[in-house]
Amino acid sequence: MTATRAGPIVDAPASVELEHASRWYGNVVAVNDISFTLRAGITGLLGPNGAGKSTLLHMIGGFLAPSSGNVLVNGEPAWGNVEMYRGLGLVPERESAYDFMSGREFVLANARMQKVSDPLAAATKAISLVELESAQDRPIGTYSKGMRQRAKVAAALVHEPPILILDEPFNGMDPRQRLHMMGLLRQMAAEGRTILFSSHILEEVERLAETVLVIVAGRLAASGDFRQIRRLMTDRPHTFTVRSSNDRSLAAALVAEPKIAGVSLDDGLLTVRTSDFGSFSRTIAGVARATRISLFELLPTDESLESVFSYLVRG
Amino acid sequence: MNMVIAQITLRQLLNRRRTLLLLLLAGLLVLIAIIFRATGGDGARALTFTGRLLSTFGLATLMPLVALLFGTGAIGSEIDDGTVVYLLAKPIPRRTIIFTKLAIAALCSILLTAIPIFLAGMIAAGGPADGLVVGFTLGSVIGSLLYCAIFVALSLVTGRALIFGLLYVLIWEGLLAALFAGTRTFSVRQQSLAFADAVANVPAHVLEAQLPLATAAVMAALIFVVAVALAVRRLGRFEVSGERA
Repeated sequence: MTATRAGPIVDAPASVELEHASRWYGNVVAVNDISFTLRAGITGLLGPNGAGKSTLLHMIGGFLAPSSGNVLVNGEPAWGNVEMYRGLGLVPERESAYDFMSGREFVLANARMQKVSDPLAAATKAISLVELESAQDRPIGTYSKGMRQRAKVAAALVHEPPILILDEPFNGMDPRQRLHMMGLLRQMAAEGRTILFSSHILEEVERLAETVLVIVAGRLAASGDFRQIRRLMTDRPHTFTVRSSNDRSLAAALVAEPKIAGVSLDDGLLTVRTSDFGSFSRTIAGVARATRISLFELLPTDESLESVFSYLVRG
Repeated sequence: MNMVIAQITLRQLLNRRRTLLLLLLAGLLVLIAIIFRATGGDGARALTFTGRLLSTFGLATLMPLVALLFGTGAIGSEIDDGTVVYLLAKPIPRRTIIFTKLAIAALCSILLTAIPIFLAGMIAAGGPADGLVVGFTLGSVIGSLLYCAIFVALSLVTGRALIFGLLYVLIWEGLLAALFAGTRTFSVRQQSLAFADAVANVPAHVLEAQLPLATAAVMAALIFVVAVALAVRRLGRFEVSGERA
C-alpha cells in the first residue's frame, strides 16, 4: 500500500469548466445549459440513470461536442483537443477492454500510448495501486466485472493525470474492492488531483465526494457541499430493498424499530422505508444480529433516489 | 504510425475466427493450382488457366473478401465494442490512428492475398509465365491497399460496413463494372487488372485489362487519397455517444 504524501504532487491546478454547456440529439436534450467549475478534490456527479451524466462526462472527456456553450479543460476546449489527454485520465462506463490482452499488457499499452518516460515502471505502479497484481497476466476476457473495472482504472491513471474522470467506477465491484477504490481516489485527491466520478447510488457519493453535482433530466438540480445537499436529501423517508436468509422474520423485527417508517414484503422482495438514512445500516445490522438472520444484500432503491431528485428539483 | 496501435490492431485482426476462414480460402486458391498441375495442366492451356484463376478467384473473390474483413475490422470492431475510447483518449493525432490502422489492415490483406496469388500462379503456370504471376501479385498488392482504404473509411461512415462493403463488392465491382464501361474507371478490380496487364507480357486472351494504365493509376491514387482523407475527417469528428440506448 502506498503511503499518502503530505503535500500536493500536482504542480499546476487543473480545472474543468462548463459554461452554459448543452447537448442535444435531434429533438432530445441530454444536457441542458449546465455551468460549473471543478478544481482539486473529489466531485460526485449524481443522478438517476438516463439523467445525462454520461453525456456530460463524454463532453468533458472530449468525446462529444457541446451543441452550445463551452466545455473547457485547463482553459482549452475539450472537443478536438488530443493534447488534453496528457493531463486527463478516463474510465469509461462500458465494460469492454481488449479481451485478448492480459491486464498488464493493457495497462502497459496505455502507458506507451500516453508516451510516459518509463512505461514498464508506470504500468507496474498503476497495477499495484489497484491491487491487480495476482491477475495481471491473465487475459482480460477471463476477468470478473470488478477486475475489469480495476484494470480500466489502472489504465486511466498510468500517466498520473492531474484530472481523472470516472463513469460509474464502482459498478461490479465487491464491497472490499469498493472500499479500496474509494481509498485510492481519496489518496489521489489529497495529492492535488481533480477527480469527477458519476454514480446513481447516493451512498457512494455520500461516502466519497466532498462536492456534489446533482443532475436530473439533463439539468443541474443542485451543486455544492455534499453535507448541505444531504440534509435536503435525508429530511425525508428512504427506501431500501433487502435480501436475507429469512425476509419475513426480518420484516417483523424491523417493524418494531422506531426509525423504520414502513416494511413491505411483495413477491418475495423485502422493502424497508426508514426516516433516518444515516443510521439505517446500523439498525438493520443490529436487528439481523439479534434475530440471527443473515443479510445478503442491502440496496437503496432507485425509486428512492428518483424521489430525492424530484424533491431537489421541486425545492 | 504508432507501434502500440499497430500491435493491438494486428492481434485484433489475427485473433479472430474469420481470419482462419480467409486462410482456408487463400489455401483453396493454391490447392486448385496444385490440382490443376497434378492433373497434367501445362503449356498454353496452363497460361490461360492461370490468367482465369488469378483473375476470377484471386482478384475478384479472394482480394475483396480479405480486404473487406480486415479493412472493416481494423477500427470498426473497436467502435462496435467501445474499446475505441482507449485509442481516442490519448495524445495521438487522429490521422496517426487511421494511418496505423490502414497500414496493418493492408499488410494483413496483402499477406493473405498477394502470397497465395503468387504461389498459385507459379504452381499453375509452372513458372513466372512472362510476368503474368508478378503482374497479378502487383495488382493484388495495389488492389488490397485500395480496398482497405475504402473499407476503413466505410467503417467510420456506417455501423454496417461489412454489409455495405459486401454489397459494394458484389454489385458495383461484380455487376455494374461488368455491364457499364463508365463504372469500370472506378472499379478497384479493373484498376488492379490494369497494373497486372502492364507488367505481364501475355496474349490478350490470357489477360487484357479494360482500363489504360494511366487512367488506372490516376483513379487509384484519387480513390486512395479520398478514402484516407474521409477516414481521417470522420475519426476527427467521431463522437462516442453518451447515454446507453
